Amino acid sequence: MDKKVIIEKLTPIFREVFSDPNLVLTDELTANDVDNWGSLTHMTMMAEVEQTFGIAFKLKELKKLNTVGELIEAIQTKA
Amino acid sequence: MTFTSFKFLIFFPLIVLFFNLVPKKYRLYYLLAASYTIYGLLQPAYLLLLIASSIITYSFGVWIDKTEDDEKKHKIMIGGILLILLPLFMFKYYNFINESIISLLGYIGISVSLPAIRWLLPLGISYYTFMSIGYLVDLYNEEVEVEKNPCSVALFLSFFPIVFSGPIERAGHMFPQISRMDRSKPSDLVAGAKMMLWGYFMKLCVADRLSLYVNAVYSNVEINNGSSLGLAALLFPIQEYGDLAGYSLIAIGAARCLGFHIIPNFRRPFFAKSISSFWRRWHMSLIQWLTDYIYTPMAYALRSKKSWGVVGALMVTFLVSGIWHGATMTCVVWGLMQGVLLSIESLTLNKRTAFETKYSLEKKWWYNLICIVCVYLIFAFSEIYGMSSSFQNSNAIVNKILFDHGPLFLHPTSLILGFFATSILFFKDIREEYFPKAFSNTNNYVKITLYICLFLYILLFGVLDGGQFIYLQF
Repeated sequence: MDKKVIIEKLTPIFREVFSDPNLVLTDELTANDVDNWGSLTHMTMMAEVEQTFGIAFKLKELKKLNTVGELIEAIQTKA
Repeated sequence: MTFTSFKFLIFFPLIVLFFNLVPKKYRLYYLLAASYTIYGLLQPAYLLLLIASSIITYSFGVWIDKTEDDEKKHKIMIGGILLILLPLFMFKYYNFINESIISLLGYIGISVSLPAIRWLLPLGISYYTFMSIGYLVDLYNEEVEVEKNPCSVALFLSFFPIVFSGPIERAGHMFPQISRMDRSKPSDLVAGAKMMLWGYFMKLCVADRLSLYVNAVYSNVEINNGSSLGLAALLFPIQEYGDLAGYSLIAIGAARCLGFHIIPNFRRPFFAKSISSFWRRWHMSLIQWLTDYIYTPMAYALRSKKSWGVVGALMVTFLVSGIWHGATMTCVVWGLMQGVLLSIESLTLNKRTAFETKYSLEKKWWYNLICIVCVYLIFAFSEIYGMSSSFQNSNAIVNKILFDHGPLFLHPTSLILGFFATSILFFKDIREEYFPKAFSNTNNYVKITLYICLFLYILLFGVLDGGQFIYLQF
């Protein structure tokens, strides 16, 4: 799947889950850069991502995703 | 040989001295021998249990590493965890489960008797058990490399500054330090000594001083009125903070004198503006452990349930936290209380954030102060159940606080010295929280003088009769 398409689909999920209507996704973006991105909201975001792209992550895989760039790469591999 | 014992104060400098004299290749064995000796002096028989746990952890670690198939690896990890948990279950929870079954059956009229175990709880078992589990899970998740030297695994689990009461360290953080083990740098010795001094102040001058009042009131609930019990309930979180954070600082400082950087355990918890923020500042190593090994897998498994999955994971996590703190029903209720509070915060997070942003509340000092006071009061209330061994006792305290007011029981020496030491502690915490740059250019002579004053204060006004640490009972 094209990276641009993935970002287009990811952006509304991130904005909704983290309550930030102006959030812009970049490859380097991490949980430390977003105010409401904590352990509580992380799983909600991942569940939305899995549902939107029709994929499933193992917890082991999920733990290795530290940046939005890595998440996009993982989606590209699975979708 | 606890941190406040005279023996420790004599032996610890000698341990540090010989650590620096021993050739590098023998330091691992030297520290392991020192750790086992200290543990063995306290509980010789249970040293064998600690060694057995280390052998199991090491063997299962190597087994997981050698196995290719992911499913098989997972089964080995689970097998290892169950074996490691077995002694903890037998020593700490067997009687609790037995008694719960007996009283449950008693309610429906069935009378049974189950054999009880009356053994002493092995020191540090909750801590080294959690560290072992963390290592095996991290290994399975490929977050750490396998440790091939069994003595390194043994030292990781028995390292004397942290084995009795934490902080709960991680394999990924400790193994690189164990394999390095250079001589202590002068800066490490100075930083370690400062942390230990401050830790002793928190323990001996704040916690043990306040405990004289709190224990006098709490141990005589029937003769004290609600006003005195209310004051004791308000002071208890500060006493607990002085005790637990003081212990942690002594442990972290002692390890630092040997060149080890141990993860922090407390970060000014009484300035938290929400319960979730409080739990990111209080007993951080335990909460981070619970987050990584209980909350995250649970929340992951329940992720399709979205917010309710998070609520379920939070409830289970804090139920485990409650049971970890004590094998009693009051601790179970204490854990559930925290779970409910955190769930409410989690479910209302977005609305609260929007409300606070709309009225710029986060920038208003009075709003922050209200939040800080509310979090403190909620925690103090929950601790009435957390520290008590029976509901009857906790309910009697709450009932009296609400309805039975009268003249305060005063213990002037404890209260005056306790409040004075607490104000020094809070002065330091306020500076670090809100004015981190203040006094940063203070002259070294002034700093040394202040540390000498702190040392003298501990000698003159500290409670120096070898009071037990609260953490040692876990």
